[in-house]
Amino acid sequence: MSSASRFERLALPHLEAAFNLAFWLARSKPDAEDIVQEAYVRALRGFDGFRGEDIKPWLLAIVRNVAYRWLSNRKRAHNIISLDESLAGSTASESLADHIASDEPSVEQLLVGAVERDYVLRGLAELPPAFREVIVLREIEGLAYREIADVTGTPIGTVMSRLARGRSELRTVLKKLIEKDEPNAV
Amino acid sequence: MQCERARNLLSAYIDGELEGDERRAVAAHIETCRSCAALVNDYRSIGAMVAGAGREPAPHGLALRVRENLARANRDELRKPEPKPIGWFDRWPSFRRSVLSHAGPALAASLVSVMATWWVLTAGTTSAELQREVLSAHVRALLQDNAVQVATSDQHTVKPWFAGRVDFSPDVKDLAGEGFPLVGGRLDYIGGRRVGALVYKRRLHTIDVFIWPEKGSSEAPPQLITLNGYNVLTWHQKDLAYWAISDINAGELRELQSLL
Repeated sequence: MSSASRFERLALPHLEAAFNLAFWLARSKPDAEDIVQEAYVRALRGFDGFRGEDIKPWLLAIVRNVAYRWLSNRKRAHNIISLDESLAGSTASESLADHIASDEPSVEQLLVGAVERDYVLRGLAELPPAFREVIVLREIEGLAYREIADVTGTPIGTVMSRLARGRSELRTVLKKLIEKDEPNAV
Repeated sequence: MQCERARNLLSAYIDGELEGDERRAVAAHIETCRSCAALVNDYRSIGAMVAGAGREPAPHGLALRVRENLARANRDELRKPEPKPIGWFDRWPSFRRSVLSHAGPALAASLVSVMATWWVLTAGTTSAELQREVLSAHVRALLQDNAVQVATSDQHTVKPWFAGRVDFSPDVKDLAGEGFPLVGGRLDYIGGRRVGALVYKRRLHTIDVFIWPEKGSSEAPPQLITLNGYNVLTWHQKDLAYWAISDINAGELRELQSLL
């Protein structure tokens, strides 16, 4: 089997995961498609250098790199806030404990009757990309920390702390969204 | 375990990514701390919500388009010329045995030199050379972030700007309504002459349309070429040659051509 058809056989099954990650980084379906197209061509060209056993983290790492390059190009074009700036200004820089009081209603209680998917999409969209991507990779793709670290090119400890901060921030954002939309729920 | 320390570990605890002692310590803390237990609950239900929301569905036909694109990329790889300038000799094995075993390297070198001279003498006018120049002009503009010298979406600004800078007057249309917003224009130098370049956008992609006077039939269908992953479409219109180049797909490039 030629290297190109072997690549297709291994990589195409992960197309939906690739598209999902690209979508969550670029937050636009047309851009996500372009990112996936470019990433697959790059992956094919670099396929000879792939030595691992599992192609998914390797492939998603390429998707991620292409997506971040798009984000920085888009930022140059439209002055969109960069990853670093958005991390620095994020509400998660406050201590995790600040938002928590045990007699607050839980997110679960607040969400009774709410359209879950809509809130998830809006909540995730408000997170900085560095938090959004680890949550998507963990909760939607079900990757282990080791695999997420391979995708993001960061140490496992960083994955762990970004997930902790990301979850805390997502919880805060969701609460705000829900309380704003449904003041009676509180 | 202190609450603050536990809070930082709750997320990894939920994911089953803590080792023995740490895992047991966090579990014991949750037993006694209501607010940490509530947090674990929240994180778990938010995680289930995110997982339940699932992947953003890929657009219809994406897999097919990716496969086409991969096939194209693969063909482009294969089409790259082999670095084997003396392949011609392979057809004369006896000649090669008798002569080349002694004089091979010198002969090969002189043949390469003859071929190179012939190439230099003739290539200046070939379309391959022109294609390379168009590609270089486009990539250079992208690299240097100077895609436009007159930046405006107003076609009535771009057209007069060309007057006096080039000896022809291209039609300038803003096609924002059709998804090709006009970014502006610039001058470039291709084929030993000044040419005009109209710069359009398609989503985040930049499209250069190079224009210069050249006799040619407006009736002939546009030619599509692929160069280093860029699509190039060339056609003639009113004694002007048009070269549109971009990394958008060929269909979109044809769409732009039909609008210009």
